Amino acid sequence: MAQVTDSKSPKTVIAVTDGSAIPTRRDLGLFTAWRVSFVGALLIVIALVGFKPDPYWEILKFLPDGILVTFQVTVMSILLALVIGLFTGLGRLSNNKIINGIASVYVEVVRGIPLLVQLFYIYFALGRIVNVPPLTSAVVAMAVCYGAYMGEIFRAGIESIHKGQREAARSLGMTSVQTMRYVILPQAVKTILPPIGNEFVALLKDSSLVSILAVSDLLRRGREFAAQSFTYFETYTMVALMYLIITLFLSKLISIMEERIGVEK
Amino acid sequence: MSKNNVMIRVQNVVKHFGALKALDNVSLDVYDGEKLVIIGPSGSGKSTLLRALNRLETVDSGRIFVDGAQINDQQTDINKVREEIGMVFQSFNLFPHKTVLENVNLAQMVVRKRSRREATEISRALLKKVFISEKEDQYPSKLSGGQQQRVAIARALAMKPKVMLFDEPTSALDPETIGEVLDVMKNLALDGMTMIVVTHEMGFAREVADRVIFMDCGAILEEGPPEHFFTNPSQERTRLFLNQIL
Repeated sequence: MAQVTDSKSPKTVIAVTDGSAIPTRRDLGLFTAWRVSFVGALLIVIALVGFKPDPYWEILKFLPDGILVTFQVTVMSILLALVIGLFTGLGRLSNNKIINGIASVYVEVVRGIPLLVQLFYIYFALGRIVNVPPLTSAVVAMAVCYGAYMGEIFRAGIESIHKGQREAARSLGMTSVQTMRYVILPQAVKTILPPIGNEFVALLKDSSLVSILAVSDLLRRGREFAAQSFTYFETYTMVALMYLIITLFLSKLISIMEERIGVEK
Repeated sequence: MSKNNVMIRVQNVVKHFGALKALDNVSLDVYDGEKLVIIGPSGSGKSTLLRALNRLETVDSGRIFVDGAQINDQQTDINKVREEIGMVFQSFNLFPHKTVLENVNLAQMVVRKRSRREATEISRALLKKVFISEKEDQYPSKLSGGQQQRVAIARALAMKPKVMLFDEPTSALDPETIGEVLDVMKNLALDGMTMIVVTHEMGFAREVADRVIFMDCGAILEEGPPEHFFTNPSQERTRLFLNQIL
């Protein structure tokens, strides 16, 4: 659970579920916890591989293909989700009742259905009409789901910009689209970026769900290895450690990026 | 004052905020080159009237024309009309993510489609005019209120507007920086710009205004040249207000 409060308007709080806590230097407790977890996970992997290469070294060699697919799904989904989210957010702010209604219903429906059910639904629903590869269904499903959450982030970010900014731009003759593009969105990015970073990490974890659609991601590669070698405990230990190392690394990367562009927390 | 063309015509305009009548059948003509000052207690509708002139507020009924174009007609391309109406806000509303120069350049490039070079040339001339050339690479947050407001005036002027609207331009300023903003406005008046100014600066009104309007409860109660207005107001309500403020 991460909360971002815009410094100008304390009312605007963007709350996003279940990304891992992003460490900053100012939050000393979390910072230490991050180091303990990250270094600990690395050491455990090294120790396991070093002292018991069979099966751990074999597992480690088998997983990278899956990690690549996990990244692929995550990056493609997040990019598509950003586009969907931007339009959803704008739609939710629209004065046009129909556009607003469509965007709002989309958000409500998607938020009310578990991601796993959505994955099945899109995979099999799309599958009845067109023959799409599992990877495409997976990306579409993840993006449709996360697009709804992104929409709320965009909406809150845009709403956090003082209305005087819009008025100043409009009074200069700028259209609403120009105002959004040149004045509102560039300012909203600072508010929007931390929760989007959070969503990215959350999406990466949720991407493990696509393994049930026959997409060979990290988790599915692990399952395949375990099923052949009957080393369930060892394999899933490594899979869990891989996820942990990746998400902790990304969280750190995101917090560094945020510091660079001067996001206020 | 040249009583030639009507620049702005307001006819029987009514505006409600819920049950509150913000504008109560207001009619008004403003002439080309005229300097009109609107005064009145807060909540009297003076800012609402000003903001209705470029449709930042919509009105319930009545008609508003600026330079011949009907502002409150859905058929009118409001963006085109707004290019001709400069507006300066109480809270400056500079774009905080852009430098002073970029603030003045932006609408020129996006709306007027001027090249960056052309826009920059115009911006620099205007920044010189408002005495703030040396700050062109600064961000607004590094500027004092008075400096920010002068940049805001330059930004509005860069569109080469036919009318300038000022919505309490000095109300958010520290007392020591009010003078520098008023000086810029006085120079603008000398250049012959048509100006409508909502303000509490009675010295400015006395010195610059061709005509002063007193509003209360959404209606124009009294209007006249400043000498009449400040020495011998005809309405009791105006007299009370002036006594409080002077």
